[in-house]
Amino acid sequence: MTYKEWNAAIMVTSGVLVSAWVAFDALFGVDGWRGSVAHVAADMLWAIGYVVAFNILATIVVTILVSIVQREELKDEKSDERDHAVAAKAMRNGYFVLSIGCVAILVLLAFGAAPVLAVYALFGASMLAGVVFAASQLVYYRIG
Amino acid sequence: MGKGQPNITNKIRVLRFQAGEMTQAALAEKVGVTRQTIVAIEQGRYSPSLEVAFRIAAAFGAPLEEVFQWSPDQIGD
Repeated sequence: MTYKEWNAAIMVTSGVLVSAWVAFDALFGVDGWRGSVAHVAADMLWAIGYVVAFNILATIVVTILVSIVQREELKDEKSDERDHAVAAKAMRNGYFVLSIGCVAILVLLAFGAAPVLAVYALFGASMLAGVVFAASQLVYYRIG
Repeated sequence: MGKGQPNITNKIRVLRFQAGEMTQAALAEKVGVTRQTIVAIEQGRYSPSLEVAFRIAAAFGAPLEEVFQWSPDQIGD
């Protein structure tokens, strides 16, 4: 796997793990989904921070481990036209998911759902879009 | 990166062999793309842009049609 594929795999992993943690906290946490909108929104911001931190740490760890195993430094290469094409197609997929998610949130609110649920849905749609983007990159790098 | 079966085939592997067993990495360096892109092109998983196609042909000192072949009978697949 190339550096870009490892990065995509890390993004998928972080998105899934942090989303699972947020879902668990929402269902079984002290306040969970019954907390105030401000409290839940702050939790989501922390969750985004955890995703960023996880990505940075995992990238460093994976780079070191893979370099040791392969006995060759794992480093990013300058992007070429195929990388741009893969990123564009993956971005299209992620954007599609995010758009559907945003519409779903508006529908939720229109039907009188609690605003706190919209906050969770916004976070979920963003995470799902990110996971779809990264997973699409992995697929397109494999199939062409 | 197209839909269905690619209409474009290539002889990059043969040309690399004829060019003194040129490695994919060496070809990638000459063309200015990553080795993974050369692998994908060689395996028919990715059709390069016209510019990269010309660069590959130039790397072998061969005309474009000697490196890449197009099969019109597969249109619409």
